[in-house]
Amino acid sequence: MPFISKIQRQTDYRRFPSSTPIVIDNGASYFRIGWAGEPEPRVIFRNIVQRPRHKVTGETVTIVGDHDVALLRYFDCTRSGPRSAFDNNVVYQFEIMEYILDFAFDRLGADGSKIDHPILITECVCNPFQSRSKMAELLFDTYGVPSIAYGVDAAFSYKYNQHHGVCNKDGLAICPGFMTTHVIPFIDGEPEYKGCCRTNIGGYHITDYLKQLLSLKYPHHMARFTWEKVEDLKMEHCYIALDYMSEARLFQNGTKEAEDKTRSWQLPWVPPPTEEPPSEEEIARKAAIKEKQGQRLREMAEAKRSSRINELENESHGLEFLLKQLEQVEEHDIRSFLSATGYVSRKEVESALLKVTQSLQKAKGEQAEFEEKPDAERFHLLNKPDHECTPEELKMKKRQVFLKSTSEGRQRAKQKRHEEELERERRNQQDEQRRSKNPELYKEQLLAKYKDLSEKVEQRKRLKTNGGQTNGNNISGNVGRGERLNAAQRERMRLLTTAAFDRGKGEDTFGARDEDWQLYKLMSKDNDDDDEGPDADEAELARLTSRLREVDPTFVPRSENGNSQSLETPRTRPLTEEDFRIDLGVERFRCPEILFRPNWVGIDQAGLDEMAGVSLRRLPSKSIELEERLTSSIFLTGGSSLFPGMSERLEAGIRMITPCGSPIRVVKALNPTLDAWRGASAYAASPQFPAQTFSKQEYYEKGEDVVRRYQFRYHVL
Amino acid sequence: MEREVIQAELVLPNKLSFKRVQMNEKYPKGQPRGRWKHLKQIIQAENYHNYPPDEPNYVNIESPPSMHPCKRICDITGYEAPYYDPRTNLRYANAEIFKQIRSLPNEYVQRYLALRNAAVVLK
Repeated sequence: MPFISKIQRQTDYRRFPSSTPIVIDNGASYFRIGWAGEPEPRVIFRNIVQRPRHKVTGETVTIVGDHDVALLRYFDCTRSGPRSAFDNNVVYQFEIMEYILDFAFDRLGADGSKIDHPILITECVCNPFQSRSKMAELLFDTYGVPSIAYGVDAAFSYKYNQHHGVCNKDGLAICPGFMTTHVIPFIDGEPEYKGCCRTNIGGYHITDYLKQLLSLKYPHHMARFTWEKVEDLKMEHCYIALDYMSEARLFQNGTKEAEDKTRSWQLPWVPPPTEEPPSEEEIARKAAIKEKQGQRLREMAEAKRSSRINELENESHGLEFLLKQLEQVEEHDIRSFLSATGYVSRKEVESALLKVTQSLQKAKGEQAEFEEKPDAERFHLLNKPDHECTPEELKMKKRQVFLKSTSEGRQRAKQKRHEEELERERRNQQDEQRRSKNPELYKEQLLAKYKDLSEKVEQRKRLKTNGGQTNGNNISGNVGRGERLNAAQRERMRLLTTAAFDRGKGEDTFGARDEDWQLYKLMSKDNDDDDEGPDADEAELARLTSRLREVDPTFVPRSENGNSQSLETPRTRPLTEEDFRIDLGVERFRCPEILFRPNWVGIDQAGLDEMAGVSLRRLPSKSIELEERLTSSIFLTGGSSLFPGMSERLEAGIRMITPCGSPIRVVKALNPTLDAWRGASAYAASPQFPAQTFSKQEYYEKGEDVVRRYQFRYHVL
Repeated sequence: MEREVIQAELVLPNKLSFKRVQMNEKYPKGQPRGRWKHLKQIIQAENYHNYPPDEPNYVNIESPPSMHPCKRICDITGYEAPYYDPRTNLRYANAEIFKQIRSLPNEYVQRYLALRNAAVVLK
């Protein structure tokens, strides 16, 4: 991990005399502050400010830099994200800058009434005058700083490494930073800004690209890809391919090498509780319980039946006894005799007895003989002429006519079903015979038939839904009037509209020929739907499918619309550990590749290698000899130069744009992220430094001219 | 405020001895703050076109557009992309990915396009 924050409060602020300058590397990603002449910055933190609300007290607080995430749980960070003072690589938000400087001086241990030290602060190449003067005002007025010097971070880094013999006094500094990438030529140890160039791409864009790609690839885990996490992933896994296309091809072809290069990040995953199949014992126990319950139900039913039989028997005995008694009773006494029993006449008693015996038979399980009377008897009234019938008989006759017709219909349907069954049997037998003769040929024929038919059915379905204009994408297909109507309906609409607009033009000859009248038939609504054809086809298709399944177990019927089904399946699939694994394959080198090809992220500017060429071309004094001197000391610094493979790729890229045989040497800074501060610290400690600063008095007396013309001189060291 | 938060000195104090003007005096609560000029406005105000063209400034040190032929890559996978889908405007590497992009919801298509600054922006 190249970036580590250091925010412990320093205690030795008072030890430094007021002549010791404070050195600040104000980078777009990290802020570093320390004392001139020291090898390491004292305080390092991310150059961001958050202003969340405290959850309990509700007051808005200011938090600078990155802190332990656990401590942020007391704050409501939803309304304000981390904010930076930078727009591109220029400081523009000086309110945020002030918070950052507050925090930095506070952690450096400042406790006087002002910051009584000269300050050397870095800025971008050709920083706009407005930003520079605002920074000066902030430092002079708010902090009471005596004097200020500005310098360029990449230049300090170059000079520091030149001092340590890494690069020559003529060379090309290439600095891919956080928001921008610079190429600065150095001639005689001094940066030549005329040959400088800047592309607005850097580590920020790489992280953002990776973050977007991952959240598009794994939409379910989008919340996992926080800026900090993705930044970590980038620093840990990204590298620069020597040749992007061939590296990508490795992955496309799924080679072993590509597999080795794929990194995975396993998200915490707890397998869902699996339902164990019940043991034998369990099954047996359950079966026993079921059996017991069944037994009990059966017993209950049996008891009920027997009690009912008993009851019915008693009743029938009673009734029989009553009838016997009735035989001995006089005719006129019957009424009075029966008054106690609730029956009115002898007939009634007999019918009751009949009912009881019938239900008794039923209860005993004997089939109540419901003798089918012959038709002649059942429909005896049918042949009787109407005029001979009594009104009651007429009613009966109507009923019998109805009954007869329905029973005949039923008979016919039965007959038809039987015939169909026979027919199917016969066809199956034929099929079987053919199959046994030549199974292969049979299968082929069957398949061909199936294909034909399924296409036909599908075609018809398509025609019905829309005019066959789909090209594979049913989901985001266009919707409109034309899409909703089926072909026949659309044809009808067309006829109607032509009929509406055709009239009154020239001589009206409509009706002269008989075919003209066909038009109305076509226009009528009734001819829209003829569903019978497809139905028969579909039935045949179903038969073929089942037959094919029998013959060929590997046969898979064509799904009706594969698109929606393939979308449906993953949803129902139970989640596995694999679903919680984030694979970094092509992304590992695709994201940093944008440094070389900014137009992949929509930035239409030259990439790193091309920039070197641009820079050489922009130099005012061109000579082959100078170019060779420059290319033999190509110096890489800045946070985004830390990707493995950077030097090799840059060398290959620059070789392509320089004349054949020119010497190319690419060197990396001793520490690409810290050397800018170290170089600045060395400069601030030199005896010539005070001459390079400007004071508050100068600033306010000579006005903006001082700031505008100010230029740090690097060759003095 | 919780003890551990105070211990970590997470929150920037409101009053710092080394400052001549405290934050809340400079930006009083409840009063509208002047908006900071964005870089675009700064550049505009700077009137760089009045400056001598041979002197380097923030605008003219920008790199020119690339002269190298642009390799096109598949928007989804990053492989070399010989094909282009006229419906979604996405580039793709093979038939499999074509199927995938045709099943993508429009929102995702737009997000893929936005990655290379080619999305449809409604204003």
